[in-house]
Amino acid sequence: MIYARPNRLSRRRALVGLLGCLGCLLVPLRKARSADALPEKLAPLIRQATGGVMPQVGRVTLTLPALAESGHSVRLRVRVESPMTPQAHVRQIHVFSEKNPRPVIARFSLGPRAGRAEVHTRIRLAGTQQVVAVAVMNDGTAWMASAEVVVTAAACVEGS
Amino acid sequence: MAKARIKVPEVVKRGAVFEVRLLIRHPMETGFRYNNVGQKIPKNIVHTVRCVYNGAEVFHAELFPGIAANPYFSFFTTAEASGELECVWTDDTGVTMSERVALTVSE
Amino acid sequence: MPPYLTRRQFFSLAGSLPFVRPLTGRARANTQARAVVVGGGFGGATCAKYLRLADPSLEVTLVTPQPQFITCPFSNAALVGLRSLASLTYTYQRLREGYGVQIAHAQAQEIDPTTRRLTLSDDTTLTYDKLVLSPGVELRWDAIEGYDAEASTVFPHAWQAGSQTLLLRRQLEAVQDGGLVVVSAPETPYRCPPGPYERASLIAHYLRTHKPRSKVLLLDAKDSFTKDGLFLAAWERLYPGLLEWVPGAQGGRVTQVDTRTGIVHTEFDEYKPAVANIIAPQRAAAIARAGGLDAGTGWCPVYGGTFESRIHPNIHIIGDAAIASPMPKSAFSANTQAKVCAAAIVALLRGEPVAPPALMNTCYSLVAPDYGISISAVYAVENDTIQVVPGSSGTSPLDAPGTTRTLEAAYARSWYANITADTFG
Repeated sequence: MIYARPNRLSRRRALVGLLGCLGCLLVPLRKARSADALPEKLAPLIRQATGGVMPQVGRVTLTLPALAESGHSVRLRVRVESPMTPQAHVRQIHVFSEKNPRPVIARFSLGPRAGRAEVHTRIRLAGTQQVVAVAVMNDGTAWMASAEVVVTAAACVEGS
Repeated sequence: MAKARIKVPEVVKRGAVFEVRLLIRHPMETGFRYNNVGQKIPKNIVHTVRCVYNGAEVFHAELFPGIAANPYFSFFTTAEASGELECVWTDDTGVTMSERVALTVSE
Repeated sequence: MPPYLTRRQFFSLAGSLPFVRPLTGRARANTQARAVVVGGGFGGATCAKYLRLADPSLEVTLVTPQPQFITCPFSNAALVGLRSLASLTYTYQRLREGYGVQIAHAQAQEIDPTTRRLTLSDDTTLTYDKLVLSPGVELRWDAIEGYDAEASTVFPHAWQAGSQTLLLRRQLEAVQDGGLVVVSAPETPYRCPPGPYERASLIAHYLRTHKPRSKVLLLDAKDSFTKDGLFLAAWERLYPGLLEWVPGAQGGRVTQVDTRTGIVHTEFDEYKPAVANIIAPQRAAAIARAGGLDAGTGWCPVYGGTFESRIHPNIHIIGDAAIASPMPKSAFSANTQAKVCAAAIVALLRGEPVAPPALMNTCYSLVAPDYGISISAVYAVENDTIQVVPGSSGTSPLDAPGTTRTLEAAYARSWYANITADTFG
């Protein structure tokens, strides 16, 4: 059904339609990045945060707006799948920025008493970039997620 | 104007997980900005925030200049007994401030 | 394989393709080509008209569901009885009769970029050489808990002029003296950056005149806004104690509404106002997000010089739906972008080079009926990116005599007369 009219774009089949129109000379928005590729400069910082382990992708949900007009204050939510029991819980959540002058944004310490491994905050972003959240568990494993935020210039603002 | 606001539910059931919202009034100067006469504004951010519920730490954050001005946090913890939640934060000038809120836990 | 691509998959897919742009030119002075324009607002109507002016051999169809258009500019004045909605209503008669634009009153539903066809709600299909999308914004019903289309019949957004404007007006008229009116302003980007602040101002003016013990609370997701210095100074002078702005840094962001109990929730407080005007977060209207034209971000990336989509060739996007930062999402921006886009389309169809555009914008706001303020800028395009021309941007002076504000209010009215004449006349 979905591929019945593969070249049709519609609200319903928007992205599927896109697949069908690969012949139509797509112009890429920006250089593609594999889903889980980490910005290179963050790798040593992440290793430092996890005690040497490279985190696996998963268990962390990082929510940011896909587009922000100003990088002054961007809402961020990190949620980690964990039972949050004394036996199995999240110890730390680290948030990293790919392009800010200071790539470490915040470190949150949690324990089983949190009941739910979730934090919200507002961050600064110096331009379009990836944000990475890493969760370190009490068993020493580490998990991560990343999200890309398009930051456009501030509009209709004095001095812009 | 209050230096911070904390929001917790009016009443929480014992054992229930509840949300705490914290808003601190602070410019979070990054150290990368200049004032209108071209001088660098020194870095001054809140670098540590701790929240303690009836004596036990339930939230601890280390912050860097990538946190927006007037830092906002929301986190979760488990209701144990009625009492008090206190949040304490320190900035680069060494100033420590705190704000507290009463918590009512029902059976 | 999942039926939908994620944003990341989309990007990796896109990146695997050769980085080439299509040849769209046809080396003919008289193109006899066919352009379809979707959206009958400031962007779409202007573009249709200027396409016909630039190349009379071009067949131009304007697709818009409504037989008439009610402008958002000056709808805040209509909201408080300073103007009638009828005085803000325009038809497409001049475009049809004076400029030969064909009008299709239907909703654009599907785009096929390979065969260059657009399907409409009445099942007709239009083929195009160039497609212009100027469909404006839609409210995001997933952004504030409890706020959806149905809730907007109780707590109006009034961010599309028409029945929503009238609903909010009736509610304001019904407020008792001493009542609380809440206006909520969203995070950027959204249509008309100064709009929520002009609205709160004019509501305060109405209340001060008719119900002086009432109060306007402006709950804002942001900590700063366009012309904020000018607005805040004017509010202190004109509406002390009557209009209060609660920025995001004081917990002003509206997170939830409950139309059953009439309660508006922010991150830290609850209010039970007599009237709640919820200006919810927005995104490009659906047709502009079809086929990944928004790259998953809710807004459409375009090349600054032509307003051609960065995703699909031969589709141009102008007005509020496009990412044209630093240009604001305003009627003036849409109008000026429409002219640049029309000129670029004709040049592309003829295989001629596209002239470097000059873009501009002014946003006038009324703080009171005879108190106007403005912000303007001129923009140039470098490397396909729109930039403010250095030194071209400015606002009304912060310290100015009342006569300056009165003059600016008059300029605002004449700006409106001019831009509507340019767009629809």
